[in-house]
Parts: sequence; structure tokens; C-alpha cells
Amino acid sequence: MIARLLIRIVAWALLAYLVLPLVVILGASLTTTPFLAFPPEGITLDWYRKMMADPGYVSSFVTSTLLAGSATILAVIMTVPAALALARFSFPGKAAVSSILMSPLVLPHIVLGAALLQFGAYFGLTRSFLALLVGHTVIIAPFVLRSAFALLTPEQRALEEASSDLGARPWTTFFLVVLPQIRAGIVTGSIFAFISSFINVELSIFNTTAELNTIPVKLFNYVQYTIDPTIAAVSGATILAAVVAIVILDLTIGLDMLSDRE
Amino acid sequence: MMSGLRAPFLLLIVPLVFFTAFFLAPLATVVVASLSASGNESGLTLDHYVRVLADRYHWDVILVTFRIGLYTTLACLLLGYPLAWYLVRIVKWRTWRRICVIMLVVPLFTSNIVRSFGWMVLLGRNGLVNDGLMGLGLVDRPVRFLGTELGILIGMVYVLLPFVVLAVGNALARVDSSLEQASSDLGARPAATFMHVTLPLTLPGIVSGAIMVFTLAVSAYVTPALLSGGRITVLSMLIFQQYSSVFDFHYGGALSVVLLVFTLIMVALAARIGTVKGSAT
Repeated sequence: MIARLLIRIVAWALLAYLVLPLVVILGASLTTTPFLAFPPEGITLDWYRKMMADPGYVSSFVTSTLLAGSATILAVIMTVPAALALARFSFPGKAAVSSILMSPLVLPHIVLGAALLQFGAYFGLTRSFLALLVGHTVIIAPFVLRSAFALLTPEQRALEEASSDLGARPWTTFFLVVLPQIRAGIVTGSIFAFISSFINVELSIFNTTAELNTIPVKLFNYVQYTIDPTIAAVSGATILAAVVAIVILDLTIGLDMLSDRE
Repeated sequence: MMSGLRAPFLLLIVPLVFFTAFFLAPLATVVVASLSASGNESGLTLDHYVRVLADRYHWDVILVTFRIGLYTTLACLLLGYPLAWYLVRIVKWRTWRRICVIMLVVPLFTSNIVRSFGWMVLLGRNGLVNDGLMGLGLVDRPVRFLGTELGILIGMVYVLLPFVVLAVGNALARVDSSLEQASSDLGARPAATFMHVTLPLTLPGIVSGAIMVFTLAVSAYVTPALLSGGRITVLSMLIFQQYSSVFDFHYGGALSVVLLVFTLIMVALAARIGTVKGSAT
């Protein structure tokens, strides 16, 4: 069938298009030339060594990781109870509550970043780790909320009711019945949340300084002025981190979200 | 559903206070700033909006922003649908599909900045794309990509394509094959079955993917900033300037509200088209 063949060709071309820029960066980061070259001329890990020796890059990596980690923990602590409230109770204003908690997904991050800067300025909550943390928590919370909520199905309710009918206290029911059923959702949501925080530029850029910088913002500031193989090495490191994260994700929970019917 | 307000109140109090303090209140500050007089005067004014909307230049920027958003969305749908189809319906070997999904998700897990940087290298005057085009004899001189809308479009489609593929792919995987079977048993050709059965059934996926891509495209900052080479301005770049170097929060606020309102209008329209089309067939 011609249509089938055509789809195959388009799909292969698109898969190549998806990996090409990443391959180019990884390749260019290995070049021995002092400028960016692809295909690389010669192969060296010098640019990665240079990156590791630069305290600026190392501290940005640390900041990004700490920020993404603490924002994810905060988001989980806040949104798991919220998901429970939205899935298991009826109360006035429920639709409004859920759209407020989900709206950071569609709201331009640059607007939210600007808003937090202006608002934080009234009480000195700017250009600090805490200022970054509250913003990141807001934008990543919907990921955890959505995936935890999706697993709180009506069918699971029966188990929760059985647990409380048998005399379990709410906390016991939560830890022994509810939590195990939504654990996978919390893990998936947390991973997406962590990554979204780790790669964010638009929100962080308002509250970072030369000393307190996240890795994407630092890269963004560099790339606008100079491009050299160190930048490619730093970018390459983030790509490798992403690949590792995805392979782990695939091996533990499985990423085969597009499987056919069965 | 259990009723009684005590439990949901206790469960929601912390997230709601947090979102009020660090989400609703900051956004309200922007709206208030956009409506209040600048300088030492007090009172409400629409001056900043007049300044934004009475200026031809701003309309040009708004037009460019939404044109890029629209083209990005269309390109993502036209390219993403076949790719989703391929992954869900054509690939039979599970391992290969897993590898494909990983290829699809790795870009999503990498920063926009890294991905746009890759395109800066590829689309440059001596980049791989121009080398390829000249090598194939398609062009005599290097094509200018950086600093053109085409360049921005290539980068944006790249960044946003996975969202459409995942949304459409999920919808495709959930289509009940007996419906398609019935259609072809009743004598419909594959093309007719696709148009009248499969496409309408995947419409919710298409609409949700399109809305996601459109909102992300019109509010994108990093990709256009890097690939425009300072030659093309989109709304988010104007907003960033106001807050980072000009420090005019009133004017920046008005620009932000304009971006928000235009985006919400387009999203509402798309959702409407989705429901109308979906119920008609």
C-alpha cells in the first residue's frame, strides 16, 4: 500500500528530525577544534573536563538539581491531598479549585515569572532560592496533581470504603489503601515535574543572579553572546542526563504509552 | 461522593493558600499594574492598553506571534498525525516502538535552550542544512534561516511536535477497531473509513494537542529569542524587555494581559470547534 509506505517515510524522516539537533550537539561537544564543528574534527573529552573544572557550571548544576528536587517534594506534599479532595468529595467551588490548580499548564510562564518578580518585590522575595522555589512549585504542581488524580478511580473507592468500614482510621486507610494505588501516578508525575523544573528558563530568568543561577538560564545567557564547544559539552551533559532519566523511567514504569489496544 | 466540608477543606487549605499567595496574587498584581496610572498619579486608567493597542508596531508583533503560533500548530498536526499513526498502527515490533517513544520523549526532557542551540548550529550559514541543500544542488547560495520566520518555525515545530504525537497517539490507541471494521465491511474504502470514522474519533486528541501546542507556541520565549537573531520580535520578547531592562511594569502588565486574553480567546475557539465538529459526526 502506497499510503502505508508514505507514512513510513514521513515517520522515519520525522524521527531523524527529532534526534538530529541532539546528535549534532553531542558530536560537536567532542571536537578538538576551539570552535564548534560538526562533524567533529578529532575526538576529545577536554570540553567536558573544562566544564567540570568551572565552578560556575558545577554550582549551576547543583542549584538546578536542588531546586527541581525541593520543588517536586513540595508539589507532591501539596497536590496529593488536593487530588484526594477533588476525586473523593463534592463541595461548592470544586470546578474553580481544579481549574486554578491546573491553569499553570496553559499560562505563559514568562508572564508568571514577571508577575512573581513584581509581586515578590513588595516583600523582598526576589532573586533568591526561595523566590525560585515558589514559582517552580506552582508551575510543576499540575503534573503531579493530574497523574495522581487519574489513578483515583471510582472503582478504587470500594476498597477505601471497605477499609474504613472495617474500622481503619483515615490515616491508616490513606497509607495502606490510597497511597499504594496512586504511587505509580505520583512517581510518573514527579518525574515530569522534576524535569519541567530542571529545564525551565522562562520562569527562572527573572529571579536568577550571577551567583545563583540554574543551568538552563546560564546556558541561555551564554549562547546569546558566544558559542563554543564548552557550551556544547554542558548541553551534551543535560542531554545525557535526560537519556538516563528516560531509560530508567522506561525500565521501571514503562514508557510504552502508545501501545495498541491490547 | 462524600459531602461535608471539613475533610475537603483540610485537604485543600495548604495548596489553595500557596496558589493564592504565589499564583493568583502575583497575576492580580500584574493586572492591577496594567490598569493603574504610572508615576505619582493614582487612579485607574486604560492608558497602557491604549498605548499597546493604538500602535501599529504592536499589532505587527501580535500578528507575527499568532502567525507563528498558527503555522506551528498546523505543521505539528500535519506531521504529528502520520508519526502517531506509524507508532500506534504500523510498528509491530515492540522494542522498536519503545526506541521510537524514547526518541520522541528525549527532546521533551531537554531544555528548549539546548534544542534551539542545536538548530542554531544546524541552520547557520555553514550549517549542516545549508551544506546538504547545496550538496544536493537545490540551492546555489546558503539560505538564510536564522533571523527569519521560517527558522523560528523549524525550531518551534521541533520543540512542540512530541506533544501532538503523544496526544494523537493516545487517542489513536483507544479507537475501537470494531468500528473501523464495521465501516470497511459495509463497503467504505480505507480513505472514507479514515475520514468518517477514525479521524472524528481521534478529534479530541487532535484538539487537546493543538491547544497545548498553540498556547506554548504563542508564549514561547527561548526558541524565538535564540533563532530570531534579534530581527524578529514576538510578544513574549517585548514582555521580557519591559520587566528586565525597561522596568515599566504598567506597560509590561498591559502587554502580558493582552497575550493572556488573546491566547484564551484562541483556546476557547479551538475547544468550541472541537466540540461542534465532534458532535456533528
